[in-house]
Amino acid sequence: MMRIVDFLDNMDKRIIYLIVAIVVILPFLTPIGCPMKVTEPVRNIYNYVEDSIPEDGSILISIDYGPETMPELHPMGKALVTHAFSNNIRVFMLSLMPQGTGLAQDIIATTVREWNDDNPDNIKEVGKDITLFPFVPGVSAVILKMGEDIKGTFNTDAYGNDLDEVPIMSGVNNYSDIDYLVDLAGSSIILSWIIYANGRYDQKMAIGTTAVSMAEYYIYMNSGQANGMLGGLKGAAEYEQLLKLNEKSESRNEGLVGMDAQSSAHLTYIIFILLGNIIYFIKKKQEK
Amino acid sequence: MSISTNIWVWIAALLTLAIYSFLYKDNVFYKIAEKILVGVSIGYLLSVYWHNTIIAKVWNPLVQDKNFLVIIPLILGLLMFSRLFKGRAYISRIPIAFVVGTATGMSVPSSFENLFKQVQGTMPTVFSFGNIVILVGVITTLVYFFFSLEHKGFIGKVSKVGITFIMIGFGAAFGATIMARISLFIGRIQFLLRDWLGVIQ
Amino acid sequence: MKKLCYLLLIMLLVGAYPALHAQTGTMPLDPDTAYSDTIPTEIVLRAEDTPNDAGSAITVTWECNDNLPSGLITIVRINGEEESIVAEDLMLTKEQVRDTDVADDKEYSYYGIITSPDNKYYRTKDSNPAKSEAQWFNTDRTDSFVAVLFITLVFVWFIQQAKKGKSFYIRKINGLDAIEEAVGRSTEMGKPIMYILGIGYVTDIPTIAGLTILSRVAKKAAEYDTSVLVPCYDPVVMTTAQEVVKESFTEAGRPDAYQKEDTMYITQDQFGYAAGVDGMMMREKPGAVFLQGLFFAESLILAETGHSIGAIQIAGTTETAQLPFFVAACDYTLIGEEMMAASVYMDKNPLMLGSIVAEDMVKVLIIVILFIGLLLGILGPGLGIDIFNNWFEWLIRII
Repeated sequence: MMRIVDFLDNMDKRIIYLIVAIVVILPFLTPIGCPMKVTEPVRNIYNYVEDSIPEDGSILISIDYGPETMPELHPMGKALVTHAFSNNIRVFMLSLMPQGTGLAQDIIATTVREWNDDNPDNIKEVGKDITLFPFVPGVSAVILKMGEDIKGTFNTDAYGNDLDEVPIMSGVNNYSDIDYLVDLAGSSIILSWIIYANGRYDQKMAIGTTAVSMAEYYIYMNSGQANGMLGGLKGAAEYEQLLKLNEKSESRNEGLVGMDAQSSAHLTYIIFILLGNIIYFIKKKQEK
Repeated sequence: MSISTNIWVWIAALLTLAIYSFLYKDNVFYKIAEKILVGVSIGYLLSVYWHNTIIAKVWNPLVQDKNFLVIIPLILGLLMFSRLFKGRAYISRIPIAFVVGTATGMSVPSSFENLFKQVQGTMPTVFSFGNIVILVGVITTLVYFFFSLEHKGFIGKVSKVGITFIMIGFGAAFGATIMARISLFIGRIQFLLRDWLGVIQ
Repeated sequence: MKKLCYLLLIMLLVGAYPALHAQTGTMPLDPDTAYSDTIPTEIVLRAEDTPNDAGSAITVTWECNDNLPSGLITIVRINGEEESIVAEDLMLTKEQVRDTDVADDKEYSYYGIITSPDNKYYRTKDSNPAKSEAQWFNTDRTDSFVAVLFITLVFVWFIQQAKKGKSFYIRKINGLDAIEEAVGRSTEMGKPIMYILGIGYVTDIPTIAGLTILSRVAKKAAEYDTSVLVPCYDPVVMTTAQEVVKESFTEAGRPDAYQKEDTMYITQDQFGYAAGVDGMMMREKPGAVFLQGLFFAESLILAETGHSIGAIQIAGTTETAQLPFFVAACDYTLIGEEMMAASVYMDKNPLMLGSIVAEDMVKVLIIVILFIGLLLGILGPGLGIDIFNNWFEWLIRII
């Protein structure tokens, strides 16, 4: 018994890494199909897009993350754009981080291509149904200026077209013309959107964040500053699940496919934590 | 199984593996990948700032639109370079003071509004167990952060409840982070198995 | 051939007609010819200066007519003889648009072109004329103004008291004594100290607090003749950190020992920065690692690497999501505001001392408001007593 305890106590960290790698990879090769419950903060966002944004309304999605948190936040962006497409809502995207512009372009290219392949009778076009504003430095200053004049903040779209000439911009001057804002970020940029866009301009908004930052931003739902939250890969998977259940999209499953791996990894962690604590107490007793 | 023929996917996959090799031990592949990451990110940021700031916000307004007001922020920005000249480095404090001043001016009123909304959100408009827990948690945590009072007697007991709430909060946050780290790893594994090796759909 | 040319010309004209029509459709039209006979009189445009703004804006409002719920409206500005489109094809249900392209103190009026679902056009009557002007005060934010004034007064009063020499008690912050221990141990081992300010900017309060604690650490390090490595995420933070370290070395009487290149820029990419600092930690093997500032997802990566090389680690941040990792992986952690209090405890600067006491007073005020809210909540919404219900609503409204 003590030999096992000693072995586990002195176990090389690399063995743990290896075990975690195996339990994450295996479910991809042999999917289990873990059941998943859609949580209220995610449902709130879905319902708002579904019920409160009229056809030809507008949603602003801010891609404020870099490649490092892309696995968690990218599927959220794609799911939101797909949902907006299915309800014929105009999508405006921007990034307050230089790295985010490239990722937003990727979301636009992927979702437009996939949507048009699946729905040849309702073709979506960049500039008419979706657009991307270029990166402008100065986080809070940009958010504040957008509240006065969106065209004046960016002048052109990220593809170099004059915003006065882009059809999607018709009737869009500032936040009062944007029905909903979703900020996808893993940093304090979320707070800037809450303080300036929601606080100063009453912009209705929701948060999409990494699981790390979830706990921190829950409080903004309680105070009504945000009406919903997508938290981590699971949040994205829940949104994809809602799209699937309501027949909005069949092909969006980047979050969903990762959920088996996520569950099995969590189970492994729980076992490790329990083992670690048991060993700690056995050792402590032994020392006495 | 259809292994990728795209050279960029191969480069990304090999760099991913090089970074993960750090889990075994520090090695030359990790170092190469680390240096590339740092170098590429600086290069990328520089080019973005060049095109979206220097060209779009300085050159175009000055040369094309003849908007000479841009000269004021341009001069302030250029003053930052005074740090390169020994004895004149103090001049760079002017633009720094400008940035700190405007940022504070912008954030103070908004931070107050944010604080009010949080206080309002804490008030129990509907009586439920959850709302009462939130209220007790907020008050006891605030007491823990009293610095001008000694944590003894009643205050000490309340602040102990406060730190317990803080630690429970930390526990929840820790759990969420494990989830996040696994998600990032899942993202990379998906890339390796789907985009690189083509083992999964 | 000629016939073919005519045919082509006719085809071109026919083809161009919708385009020309579309063009004119988006421009203000002659009201007598292009619109349908029945004008929905229910839609009346009202123009007024946008309140609480910096000028150059007029808000045009209308009430949606039930007969045309899915119609579109194009708002046209009339400026003397000149007409121009403010916003095109808005949903009628929007009921409001802001014209931000007007000059102050000049009169403008507006009319709308309504497109019904069956593609008929209607022109509304002209709105009342309106002028735009800037307001000195934003009355919507009076509550913030009063709060800022009140809280500023509290701060000024306590700072004045501290300046006059009144001694305020500041409780001891765990982990502060460890600074000396950490610097001393690094010196004994002949290893440098690493001070990581995180990924905040110079405008972030935790970064500022981190810089204050850095001055103390750098001073101690200068006294012990140990080098301080400060890898930075932001160039402005880097220049500020260089100043802080330089001043501390000078204060300790060792300006000659100050090495500018020890405070260096890494990158402004979150994980690029983490990778860079990690690599540096593995190579330099510092004896003490300070993580004081604003940290996000890179916190555990940095703290775990520091732990793996056996360094004493003293962390501090206000980012609640990152604190658990510091608590788990570091020897001492300054939780949130403790960071700020730590710098006051070390320095006893009257300005900071007064601020910390004033902050405590604001916390008391918040607790009192919460208790009043709780009491009114029980008596009002809870027990349904009208007067308390009204008071509770009033309290929520003023907050």
